[in-house]
Amino acid sequence: MAVENLAFLIPLLPALAFVLTFFFGKKLPSGGAIIPIAAIATSFVLSLLITLRLLANPGEVVTQSYNWFAMFNIGILVDPLAAVMLTMVTFVSLLIHIYSLGYMSHDKAQSRYFAETAFFTASMLGLILSDNILQLFVCWELVGVCSYLLIGFWFHKPSAATAAKKAFLTTRIGDVMFLAGIVILFSDLFKIFNGAVPDGVYILRFDTIFVHIPEIAAINANIFGMEVSHITLITLLFFGGAVGKSGQFPLHVWLPDAMEGPTTVSALIHAATMVTAGVYLVARTFPMFMAAPSSLMIVAYLGAFTAIFAATMGIVMNDLKRVLAYSTISQLGYMMLGLGVGATIGAEAVGISLFHLVNHAFFKALLFLCAGSVIHAVGTHDMRQLGGVAKVMPITAATMLAASLALAGIGIPGTSIGTSGFFSKDAIIENAYLFGETTGSWIPYALSIAAALLTSLYIFRLLFMTFYGKPRTDYGGHESPASMTVPLSILALLALFFGGLTSKTFNTFVSDTFVNNFVNMDISALASLGGYQLAEHAGHEPMLILWMPLIVAVAGFLIAFLVYGLKIVNMDRLVSRNNPIYKLLYNRYYQNSIFTNFFSVKVIYEGFAFAGRAIDRGFDWIVSWFADLILETGESLRQFQTGAVQNYATVVIAGVSLLVILITVVMEVL
Amino acid sequence: MIPIVAYLALSAVIFSIGLYGLMTQRSGIRILMCVELMLNAANLNLVAFSSYNGDLTGQVFALFSIALAACEAAIGFAILMSIYRMKDTINLDTINILRW
Amino acid sequence: MLPILSLIVLIPLIFAALTLLTKTKEQARSLALVATVAVLLLTVYMYFNFDSSIASNQFEELAQWVPSLGITYHLGVDGVSMPLILLNAIVLPLLILFTWNDERKSPNKFYACILATEGAVIGVFTALDFFLFYVFWELTLIPLFFMVSIWGGPNKHHAAIKFFIYTHVASLVMLLGIFGLYFASWDMTGVPSLDIPTLIAQFQYIESGIAKDMIFLALLFGFIVKIPSFPFHSWLPDAYTEAPTAGSVLFVMLKIGGYGLFKIMLPMLPFTASPNLMITILAVLGSVSIIYGAFLALSQKDLKRMVAYSSVSHMGYVTLGAAGLVSLSVSGAMFQQFSHGLIMSIMFMSCGVINNATGTRIINDLGGLAQKMPKLATIMLFTFMASLGLPGLTGFVAEVSVLAGSFVNLPVYVIIALLAIVITAAYHLWAFQRTMFGVYNEKLGTVFDINRYQTLSMGIIAILILYFGFNPSPVFDMMLTNSEHIISLMAVVGV
Repeated sequence: MAVENLAFLIPLLPALAFVLTFFFGKKLPSGGAIIPIAAIATSFVLSLLITLRLLANPGEVVTQSYNWFAMFNIGILVDPLAAVMLTMVTFVSLLIHIYSLGYMSHDKAQSRYFAETAFFTASMLGLILSDNILQLFVCWELVGVCSYLLIGFWFHKPSAATAAKKAFLTTRIGDVMFLAGIVILFSDLFKIFNGAVPDGVYILRFDTIFVHIPEIAAINANIFGMEVSHITLITLLFFGGAVGKSGQFPLHVWLPDAMEGPTTVSALIHAATMVTAGVYLVARTFPMFMAAPSSLMIVAYLGAFTAIFAATMGIVMNDLKRVLAYSTISQLGYMMLGLGVGATIGAEAVGISLFHLVNHAFFKALLFLCAGSVIHAVGTHDMRQLGGVAKVMPITAATMLAASLALAGIGIPGTSIGTSGFFSKDAIIENAYLFGETTGSWIPYALSIAAALLTSLYIFRLLFMTFYGKPRTDYGGHESPASMTVPLSILALLALFFGGLTSKTFNTFVSDTFVNNFVNMDISALASLGGYQLAEHAGHEPMLILWMPLIVAVAGFLIAFLVYGLKIVNMDRLVSRNNPIYKLLYNRYYQNSIFTNFFSVKVIYEGFAFAGRAIDRGFDWIVSWFADLILETGESLRQFQTGAVQNYATVVIAGVSLLVILITVVMEVL
Repeated sequence: MIPIVAYLALSAVIFSIGLYGLMTQRSGIRILMCVELMLNAANLNLVAFSSYNGDLTGQVFALFSIALAACEAAIGFAILMSIYRMKDTINLDTINILRW
Repeated sequence: MLPILSLIVLIPLIFAALTLLTKTKEQARSLALVATVAVLLLTVYMYFNFDSSIASNQFEELAQWVPSLGITYHLGVDGVSMPLILLNAIVLPLLILFTWNDERKSPNKFYACILATEGAVIGVFTALDFFLFYVFWELTLIPLFFMVSIWGGPNKHHAAIKFFIYTHVASLVMLLGIFGLYFASWDMTGVPSLDIPTLIAQFQYIESGIAKDMIFLALLFGFIVKIPSFPFHSWLPDAYTEAPTAGSVLFVMLKIGGYGLFKIMLPMLPFTASPNLMITILAVLGSVSIIYGAFLALSQKDLKRMVAYSSVSHMGYVTLGAAGLVSLSVSGAMFQQFSHGLIMSIMFMSCGVINNATGTRIINDLGGLAQKMPKLATIMLFTFMASLGLPGLTGFVAEVSVLAGSFVNLPVYVIIALLAIVITAAYHLWAFQRTMFGVYNEKLGTVFDINRYQTLSMGIIAILILYFGFNPSPVFDMMLTNSEHIISLMAVVGV
């Protein structure tokens, strides 16, 4: 039995696990956790086998397709891009499930937790495997629902319920844009086929879409006086969806609030998997982005901006998980930037962005799980109350250090020595430099370097405040059980060594993902449609540029060490309410006030909704007015019934006379 | 011979007087008397035409009409008596039970 | 050959009369259940013998009634009516089951009203003669009127009278349209006929453009008010809110407006004197309904009224899809009727349960119910997600078909509809969070979770929503056949 025929089991087994755990989990120990763990482990083995097979023959991808309804299909596509994502997602999900055994052991609703995480994993795997954009959207939304359920897991807490709603609605804005993109794409393809889609050809399947890219690019839309190519419109709308799901500015506001859920949820969904769906979407539709003028530039700029924007807020947060949340937003910005520089390097951008995605999944999940371990032990999120935790929890501290080194990107340039984050982040920054050289725009590069500095700063700040120094309060605490520390250790090893071992093979493997027996695309040919100038990947940057990322990372480490480790500088004056910059950052640029309080509540709810109510009362009034009119007419006609016989007689006589006269006259006329 | 117009004119005048009385009088008895006037005016008309055209149909019709007038007057007065016994008045303006 | 259609129309009506004679609640509900299950079995039999690949009427029954006036007894189903009959047949027994343990006055009259409505509605769906069509159309009003005014909420009389008179006036305008068509056809062919397929075919030969437009608009008015579409929707909030739970579900089953739109109006559309005007009217009404209903649902304080306005919003998709004139959008609109029927049934059932348990439907007075009523919370969340268009459930299939299909011809209107999606998600989630999540509001006292019958009935409908969401083909295929047939007629004229 060839393993590729079993690819459909990869999302199906966790879905079955969801159903079983939902109905029977309460009766089993640990809330039935064994079912999802077994299912995901099997999926992991399958994914790994398929990936190894693809490594051997990269051109032979796995595809299956069935009719769904009308001219849509459901189907599977496993190419290098999907394969690495599948393996990463199943592996990280498996580790987090094992970790959750210990973390959620005291919770009453364990079975619901494991059912929901199993469902989430199934949806995410379905998203990755989709061979058409509609199915991707279906799984995209399902993943969103799971996120809603898991963020609001402790739904009796009002803050959790609010955070879940905020997450769903903010990503919904992105989803509407994604849907709009699909609708326009469908309409264009429908017109290209003249309404008659041949049998066996499925509209909205990726091969059909990509084949017709040049035709779509030729259609122009007139928006507010500007001529915009449809392909740009569609890709920007898709990117809008990615902005929502991957927490890019301005739809990032849900991610920090999403920390209300259990930490394992944050690790699974908001570090490693769901938020990366946006990056995956752009990578999957990369041929369309290449053919669209300006789209990739916008992706690059927004990614770089988000990277620095989130990092600025990360350095002032006092909540462990908040810092990590902003760090996630920032790193996702890097991944988007990595895709955006495809304007210069073509299909390789998919490779370097995915590489950072996979590495980030490992070390960010590790960071969250360590934070969870700490919170589980000491019972508080606030870093100001911690300090010296390393003495009590050495394994957690060691793995956290490994993850921090990976996040900061510590390594020796020009060699194969370094943490995973070093290889992946450096690749992006180097290509940002190349982007600057080719297009003349240095903003992405400058922002990415600045963000690297801040990244190092905030993560080492977190490390020093939490793990080293003297305890600031009396918090008790103990090391976590093996079910929690073993996954930490595995992830730590990956965070340290995966990057160095696989960087060359990974990039070539994924970058060639669009050259295969299903979707055969020459990306560079599309670049001319998009008006991009591709450059050769040069390894000849000046030494300073090559070492710059390391320099800023070490600089950030030194600053954190001096301020938080040795406490040389007194931060009290800077960290006070009177410092306007601090206030701005701490209040997160007042986004909560602007988006939630002003826009959502005042403008939409109070403004539009009540206007609507007034209009509807107007309609009711019209109907009542009509009814009243009829009633009044009836009232006035009543007056004719005087009850006096003579009036009736008079009217009869008058009527008869009138009739006689009329008939005589009519007879005369006729 | 008296021209037929004279009879018709007389008939018309009597009918008009009866009509006017019917519409404006308050007393029930007067109204009934006006109805009699109108009926007799019609009879006059019928007999005049019958005489001038030599056709007896009109006079036969007039005899029927007189008989019917008598019946109707009897019933009318009987109703008026009942009203008087109930309401103690025959002023038809004040009897408007079927008012809206 | 069994006259199946006559059976499924007459059984509910006859059993309604029989139910009136019962003395106890147990007898009434059992009799009602027997009748509705009988209809279900017959409908399922009919479904499995239905050919999804032909667009013409099947299971036809034809008998002369009043030949001098052209009235016949003509029944038949096609891809437009079959799913709706199936919807009614499935939901009604579950509705009877849902009300199994409820206490109310005059249960015999109550169940009689339910059965009478079912019979009348199925009659509308199967009638192929305008006389029968109109009789059944008007017949639906009466049991619903009694339903609202006897067992309804605090403002029931006002709501019942408003509903009755409003839709009745619209039906009269529709009757004028029917007359116009009847007399015009009689003039042209010399033979009187009230047969629906015949009259629709004759419509194109009417010479006067004004006459055609007037007839079309008159008929359209009747259907538009029944759907209901903005701006003629004001009877809906009061009627749906004040009706008892069973009444609201029956209102949801009353899909005769949309049915008329697809069966009668769309085949006539290309032959009117100004088809583009008609398309614009439908598109405007549809897209404005969607967004207007959404904003109004957002501003409601009463849970059931919010659900009623969300119904207006969802039905906007039907009108918009019909105007899209692409086979995908038209079948998507038909599917939206099917999906809406299932989803709204559970929504209203949930509101009814909450009202009975806590005594209030005001959203701000509720809170934290999920802790006390976990089964209801699960089903309600599932339904809310279906209503806001979550993929994998029927709402999404309908929405994406309508939006994608309509965009081909009506881009601007689809964009307006897209804006409503976020608002839709907003009011659903806000209401759910406010009523189910958070801390339990102690002022509500003790509440019990839903009983076995309620769980069973709501659960089965939920499973159907899931099933048809993943596999819409069983009903979507026949809708697609008929919409392709309609569109092919349009192509002849070049609309």
